Amino acid sequence: MNKSFNLNRRKFLISSFAAGGAMVIGTHAMAATIEGLPAGVPTPAGATEFTPWLTIGADDIVTVRATAVDIGNGTLTQIASYIMEELNPAWDNIKVEYADTNRDYKEGNVYSTPGGALGYFSGRSTGPARMDTYLQVAASARARLIGAAAEAWGVPAAEITIKDGVLSHASGKSAKFSEMVEAASKVSFAEEPKPKDRSEWTWLQKKAPAKIQIPHIVNGSAIYGVDVKVPDMVYAAMMQSPVMGGKLKSYDAEKVKDMPGVLAVVTVEPGENVPTDLKPPFPFGVNPAQHAVAVIAEHYWQARMALDALPIEWDDGPGAQWKSTQQMVDAALAAVEKPGEKVEVSNGDVEAVFKDAGKIVEANYHTPYCDQTPIEPLNGTALVTPDRVDFWHPSQHSQEAFYVAAHETGVAPENVYFHQTFVGGGFGRRVFSDDARMVVAVAKKYPGKPVHLIWSREEMTRQGRYRPMMAAKLKAALGDDGLPTALLGRMSGGPGFFAVGMPETALTAVTPNAQIESQTVPFHILTGPYRGPGYNSNAFFVETFVDELAEAAGEDPLDYRLRLYGKFADKGWVKVLEEIKAKSGWGEALPKGQGRGVAVANWGMDGKTPSGTTVATVAKVDIAQDGTLKVLQLDVAFDTGRILNEDAVRVELEGGTIFGLNMSMMEGLNVEDGRIVEGNFDEYPMLRMEDMPKINIHFGGLSDDNRYFEIGEPPAGVVGPAVGNAIYAAIGKRVRSTPFRLHDLTWS
Amino acid sequence: MSVTLTINGKPTEVDADPQTPLLWVLRDHLGMTGTKFGCGIAQCGACTVHLDGEATRSCQVPLEVAVGSEITTIEGLSPDSSHPLQKAWIEMNVPQCGYCQAGMLMAASSLLAAIPEPTDEDIDQYVSNICRCGTYPRVRAAIHKAAAEMKA
Repeated sequence: MNKSFNLNRRKFLISSFAAGGAMVIGTHAMAATIEGLPAGVPTPAGATEFTPWLTIGADDIVTVRATAVDIGNGTLTQIASYIMEELNPAWDNIKVEYADTNRDYKEGNVYSTPGGALGYFSGRSTGPARMDTYLQVAASARARLIGAAAEAWGVPAAEITIKDGVLSHASGKSAKFSEMVEAASKVSFAEEPKPKDRSEWTWLQKKAPAKIQIPHIVNGSAIYGVDVKVPDMVYAAMMQSPVMGGKLKSYDAEKVKDMPGVLAVVTVEPGENVPTDLKPPFPFGVNPAQHAVAVIAEHYWQARMALDALPIEWDDGPGAQWKSTQQMVDAALAAVEKPGEKVEVSNGDVEAVFKDAGKIVEANYHTPYCDQTPIEPLNGTALVTPDRVDFWHPSQHSQEAFYVAAHETGVAPENVYFHQTFVGGGFGRRVFSDDARMVVAVAKKYPGKPVHLIWSREEMTRQGRYRPMMAAKLKAALGDDGLPTALLGRMSGGPGFFAVGMPETALTAVTPNAQIESQTVPFHILTGPYRGPGYNSNAFFVETFVDELAEAAGEDPLDYRLRLYGKFADKGWVKVLEEIKAKSGWGEALPKGQGRGVAVANWGMDGKTPSGTTVATVAKVDIAQDGTLKVLQLDVAFDTGRILNEDAVRVELEGGTIFGLNMSMMEGLNVEDGRIVEGNFDEYPMLRMEDMPKINIHFGGLSDDNRYFEIGEPPAGVVGPAVGNAIYAAIGKRVRSTPFRLHDLTWS
Repeated sequence: MSVTLTINGKPTEVDADPQTPLLWVLRDHLGMTGTKFGCGIAQCGACTVHLDGEATRSCQVPLEVAVGSEITTIEGLSPDSSHPLQKAWIEMNVPQCGYCQAGMLMAASSLLAAIPEPTDEDIDQYVSNICRCGTYPRVRAAIHKAAAEMKA
């Protein structure tokens, strides 16, 4: 089918090579996608490799290698843009492919710094280490090409220019990269040339190319993990212990062994991995396998049917003690009524101020377990043999997946080949590589055949690594000016909850006396990163509470924030608030049942100011008397410091805002007898086209501070409190938990 | 059971259990993986194909029911990515991860065939697919853009 694919729009290729030049991802026909056993990323024949990051081919194709997996956030396009800025090839001649984790291992971490952030095979493309690396690599290649041309033509290097992949001189001499590349590879410098100053940029910050992989997406040729086809591949469907931490008690393979296509029934247990000296990469540790049973069949549907028919009994284990969601919420709320076991911040004397204070505001909040729910179900394909592993997988952190494949099988890392595919949504779900572990653990029980394991949507939703359930108590004393003089914050949640978003935030910093504590509650539910970990709950707690402070102070909530956060050292907070106040229609009269709410928060602030990304959102809502809530409009202003690709930033802010809206309006998982109740979208509903508000992204909050900070996670935290505060403005009802769809919002 | 399906205008032979969902016939038996698996219960729309021109969630169509219909998948939406929707999708930077977008495009193309100049309400009604990345505003804008181009 891909024979018809025409590259006339853009010759850009995204590919990850397999042996013999076949591609795992790319424009090749499906049947040719993976033929024979894949190897690492070979340097194309006749190409000159300047560094492991960059090659220039005899065909003038400039190949750049990416360690930041593109999960739809545009990392590959940004990396191509760095090369474009410094090297100026023809844009259509830049090819981005994923750096090879096997090569990284064999060549002493050429792409990564163990324990460091440069090369960990995940994350964003705009971090300083990555950005500097790519700009330097391209600047070094550029200087070598120019040096070779200067030598060949007998002219000064300074007189040679490069445009669209052509070197030229005023004398009329010109050459393509390919003509100079061999000589260029022999040029050496005592000191590497410096990349351009920002003031000289002509591509970065000026151009906003759309994502380079879109042509592969719109005709169905992009190969996601679930699309991988390998010769002799078999399929697997799996069920893990419905109560996390439970064990497989018994199963009866005899009942399904004669069903069509069934090849085997296999089991997985934690601790079946083989010891290895390989260390897990930054920033995660080891996630053990879960107890599971899987059916392997010739076709996926056969495996699913047989798994459904397989009698299985589980020993639920201690997690079954949690009979209901309410029991867990009660436990989390009870935990914040007593001093926390861990003191995160302690400034001044909070209790002394509370004793003498005239006005005290206090409230408790909670947020539920939520699933990242990427639309591509968890999956992977692994071929395990005694001395080699090949593993195709839509990872959000390919180095972690590579590590897991070696760690689970015990095969020497130099014989482990990980093949990154397109990723059908991440949001944190595919970072820990617990999914990768299960694929390899199942496949190694059926060695010698590539096993393609696909989770059902129900299995995936019930076996998540969720945003943790969290509860909080916030208490403040207000001074005569209405601003807080003391703040007590207590957070609680299950093991692994993230304290991010309360201890280090501006409210804590600007309040003279502040005490922030946390307490872990012994829930059994497994948790993981979910767009804006910790922050996505704490921003809701803190910014709903700040609205309650504004109300107690009798002041407009946006003006109150301007005063409150005006005391904070990072002036970006005020700038985004002023931008949102000017652009959102704040203060304009609304009919009865409608209201506006505001929230502002920062993701990534690290104690230094300025830092992180500050986002402010104003929500306008309409609530019918029967309680039907409709979000009409969301205005978003932000400060990442600076930006590199305006549309890439805009699209992430749109997406992150909708993600946060979904989280706050719709999402919440329930627990019954230790099991997660919800399985599919009928039980865990999502916003759709008809639910979309008008979304306006405003750029006037940018401070021009010298940082290009993250943009995917920051918007997710502030939508919820902005909508909640708008609900209060509309009908006078304060919502202190999510999802909002569960609240009675009727009014008369 | 061996049957003949008509897929993207071509007769295609397939040997599978008659109850196998068309989604898995396409993906697994025929290797046409542009049509995506998302939920398996007709909720998310990632598996949307056209059956006789109508947007249909292929995870709920047993193989035996698909026999005799003209089936169009994302691979057959146009021979060279030249459908106005595909062009608008690229120009307007619509997809993020892209996984749901084949289904979005098949729903949108069925809409434009039925209603060449759809209103926002028409789009809400026809395009009920789930996108977790939040591409809805751009999907809507790109449908309007493609409709305008098709009219011109």
